[in-house]
Amino acid sequence: MKRRGPLALAIIVPLAFMPVTARAQQTHVLIVTGLAGEAQYRASFLEAAAMLSDSARKRWGVADSSLIVLGEDPAADPGHITGKSTREEVGRAFLRLSRRVAPGDVLLVFLNGHGAGEGKTSRVNLPGPDPTATDYASWLAGFGRQTVVFVNAASGSGDFVPVIAAKGRIVVTASKTGLERNESIFARPFVRGLTGTEADADKDGRVSVLEAFDFARKEVARAYETDKKMLTEHAVLSDSALARTVSFGAPRGNTDPRITALVAERQELESQVGALRGRKASTDSTAYEHELERLLLLLAEKSQAIRAAGGKP
Amino acid sequence: MNACCNALLTLAAAMALGAWHQPATTRAQVRALADAGRLDDAERSARAGGAALTESLGEVLVLRGRIAEADSVLRRAVEVDATAGRSAEAALAELAMRRGDRSEAYRRAGVVTAAYQQGAARWSSDERVAAGRAYVVLGTRSAPAVKQALAAFDDAVAADANNIEAQLRAGDLLLEKYNAPDAKVSFEAVLKRAPEHARALLGLARVAQFEGKPDPLPLLKRSLLANPSLTGALELQSRFHLEAEQYDSARIDARRALAVDSASLPAWSLIGAVARMTGDSAEYRRAQAAATRLSSQPADFYAELSEAFVRQRRYGEAMRLARVALAVDSTSARVLGLLGDNELHAGRIEQGRALLERAFAIDPFNLWHKNTLDLLDKLRTFTTIDRGHFRIVAPAPEADLLATYLLPLLEEAYDSLAARYHYRPEGLVRLELYRQHADFSVRTIGLSGLGALGVSFGPVLMMDAPSARLRGEFNWGSVAWHELAHTFTLGLSESRAPRWLSEGLSVLEERRARPSWGADATVEFLAAYAGGALRPVSQLNEGFVHPRFSNEVILSYYEASLVCEMIEAQKGSKALVDMLTAYRDGLATSAVLTRVLGATPAEFDKQFDAWLRAKFAVPLRSIQPSDGKTPAQGAFVSTMVAGIALVDRNQLDSARVVLQSAQSLFPGYAGSGSPALYLAHIARARGDLREALAQVQRVTARSETAWEANLLEAELRESLGDSLGARVPLERMLWMSPYDIPLHVRLAELAARAGDHAVEVRERRAVVALDPPDPLDAHYQLARALVGNGDLAGARRELLGVLEQAPAFEKALTLLLELRKRATPN
Repeated sequence: MKRRGPLALAIIVPLAFMPVTARAQQTHVLIVTGLAGEAQYRASFLEAAAMLSDSARKRWGVADSSLIVLGEDPAADPGHITGKSTREEVGRAFLRLSRRVAPGDVLLVFLNGHGAGEGKTSRVNLPGPDPTATDYASWLAGFGRQTVVFVNAASGSGDFVPVIAAKGRIVVTASKTGLERNESIFARPFVRGLTGTEADADKDGRVSVLEAFDFARKEVARAYETDKKMLTEHAVLSDSALARTVSFGAPRGNTDPRITALVAERQELESQVGALRGRKASTDSTAYEHELERLLLLLAEKSQAIRAAGGKP
Repeated sequence: MNACCNALLTLAAAMALGAWHQPATTRAQVRALADAGRLDDAERSARAGGAALTESLGEVLVLRGRIAEADSVLRRAVEVDATAGRSAEAALAELAMRRGDRSEAYRRAGVVTAAYQQGAARWSSDERVAAGRAYVVLGTRSAPAVKQALAAFDDAVAADANNIEAQLRAGDLLLEKYNAPDAKVSFEAVLKRAPEHARALLGLARVAQFEGKPDPLPLLKRSLLANPSLTGALELQSRFHLEAEQYDSARIDARRALAVDSASLPAWSLIGAVARMTGDSAEYRRAQAAATRLSSQPADFYAELSEAFVRQRRYGEAMRLARVALAVDSTSARVLGLLGDNELHAGRIEQGRALLERAFAIDPFNLWHKNTLDLLDKLRTFTTIDRGHFRIVAPAPEADLLATYLLPLLEEAYDSLAARYHYRPEGLVRLELYRQHADFSVRTIGLSGLGALGVSFGPVLMMDAPSARLRGEFNWGSVAWHELAHTFTLGLSESRAPRWLSEGLSVLEERRARPSWGADATVEFLAAYAGGALRPVSQLNEGFVHPRFSNEVILSYYEASLVCEMIEAQKGSKALVDMLTAYRDGLATSAVLTRVLGATPAEFDKQFDAWLRAKFAVPLRSIQPSDGKTPAQGAFVSTMVAGIALVDRNQLDSARVVLQSAQSLFPGYAGSGSPALYLAHIARARGDLREALAQVQRVTARSETAWEANLLEAELRESLGDSLGARVPLERMLWMSPYDIPLHVRLAELAARAGDHAVEVRERRAVVALDPPDPLDAHYQLARALVGNGDLAGARRELLGVLEQAPAFEKALTLLLELRKRATPN
């Protein structure tokens, strides 16, 4: 029993500090792109949808049956778009996914397009009648035991937050309120962050929703500054604590017990670095640096050992 | 002048000649004669009017500079007539102020305002003007009195909407207190009643000058046509001539003003300024003596001189004169502000701030001082970097990034300029960079709206940081080089080089620094030159200080650089240095041209004209002369339009033929929409990468802001296997904008490939400084570059910083292990 103490620490502490990978659970993805109006927006919406869809399939391991992409014109990109983004199809997609999810799974909903309206009647313009924020909230009712990441990257999307937000849900909108109606550029950097490696701030190989959000917000500000324009969109995230724990990326699937043990030891070293960092202010700087380097070198050796054993650090 | 005024004048003149005896002459008639410049008639009329016009007579005598007599007459008016006495009392207060007797001025003004406060409602419109004048006097020590003065003038207009005097005085006061828009309204209101009213036209000319409008001279000339004896207009015209370094004309106008009013301190100040600038010490002493006779505290005399020297960029002399002015009167807001500005321009920030704070406490209306003090608060947050010969002062977030590139460039410039001009500035050269153009403008002139990119106050330089403008709007490297060149040319000539020569040399130095830098020939320039819209060399300064069309200043820069280029080509670079030293020795332009170049101004103008027409003989054949105000036309323009239309229709083969034809008409053109850029794109589309490269290089070799063209050149070079050469256009792009992260990454990669790890490290540091999207990876890449450059300790520091934040960062852990192995090989 005594030996279980350190082992329990080795497992529990990382869970407290590290993001939870969105698998062992399944990840399900619904992408909805609205009316473009102009060619430049059409291209931009299609590009974002395609990037997200490709990443879901190829990098996150989302099953085809759990990936639905709805667009204004399915013929515009038949390789990615699976149906027309009408109100009816969107409702049907939620229903379909609600039948596939299991408790603990993650559902990512990504809306992109031109937004309109205020409060509960806020919407993204789709072909035909537009579903409102309230409609989306009712469709999400069937996902009470899943973690839902709901992203509305459309202009004027801020009023979705109070309507959609609930326990177990992360709501991301491109704007702070429905009044920020100028064209938004948030979608592109958010998708870039979520699907690439640049936004991976802690370099753990996966990108959390919070990391993607922070990355996108910074890049939006940079773009406005470069163009010498006043920032007219202020993205919002509803639950940063939950957003920190939900990440997308290649699952760590080590089943070899030797590797599992090495990974646990490595995680223990990572937590020691975290603890040392917490003591930085009260530690002599030279001693701190030496201890930090010692721990990091041990970490590096542990990673080497994991790789040598055929695992992923 | 309108019909009403004409009738008044005719009446008054007739009475002055004795033709009419009834009705009696009125004050308004005397004033109308005075406003028309008929001071003899005005004086005769006033004298003929007897006791009732004593005050009017006193006012006319003031205009004629007969101050002692005016004082005596006005005192009599105060004794004789209680009503007219109020105006006379106010006039006496003004006279006391003029001679520096402030206590007497305030006492007399106080008498008027105290009475006004007790019974304003019963005062006539003219009396309310008198109250306003008294408040203006009190306003020199009390800001609330300025507002009361304006209120009194408004009351005067309310009592009599035809009271032009009240509107003129309100306009003058508003302008004096930096409210040009409202001043303009007042003057325009007068002109609605009297369209050629000289003082109102002068007021509008001063408003135009205040607002930096291109040319207030036409208004001024109209003013002088209406009243050739208007001393204020003559003095302003003299000031304009002085600014254009036309000393003879400046002296003539100042003397004309003195012929009307021999007691005008501004006119004596202008005489003094011309004399001091031209080294006429006897004349200067006469002016100084006159000023001292006229006022016991002639601080404004020295202030006017100091301001004139600032306009001539002779900052050292301006500082000395401002200090003399302060010694004469330490309570003058004008003088405190002037000295404060000079201190700031010399880089003595805290001394300047203290003086401006004192000035602002006295005159809280002063926008310049308010703006500057606000900016100085902001300046405290800037980062200062001292290295080598330079002190860089820049906003903290980008100071390191900018200094990384600027310092080596400035040192290169310093060595080059010091060798050419045989001059070395004392101490550090200070360069301030501003992220907001408005801040740079306030730092330079106290107001926003300055059109320049940079400015040199000798060893203190200021400029827009590249972040102040959109990418492609300017080249921050060439601007820095340009301003630093001024430090040397102004230093060598002791700030006596005329503006055209100093600017011409700076532009020439830009072109020397990098082949693509500096202004280049444009269609607009050649059209304007051919059309006579630009000035000959002998009058080129006018193109800078009194432009006749919006772009004349910009085109004059280029013209001036061509003048310097010609001199260097024909007489050698020593001739340019000799010109600077000749100016330093006090020679005027005509003497400089004769001594150094062996030509009279007229001969030199001809030589330059012939040289320029020969240099640009080919393009001049296909460009129509223009007045500088209308778009340029001619065969080159029409051929380009046709070529671009074909490109737009995607008829690339036809477009190529037409664009080649355009190129043959103006082979050296590399400006916006040049044929070469189109031809480069067409060649690339045809797969002829070598031709595309040749064409795009015609642009990048001559245009300092061609971002897209340089990008294309880099791509083409890489496609052709010249990755080493691709660094050249990328390096050029850094001077168009240092904020493009992919540009730095690309340069770093190319440098690494070439084994140039020093540049790789520089570029990786730049990425880190730009707060990239992936900062930890940027630090990791920097660590790798440092390893390549042999700086293992630096690399270790970077890695520990990265891994402290992200201990799971695999690539960084691997590199850390590698470093340990290198440190302990066995």
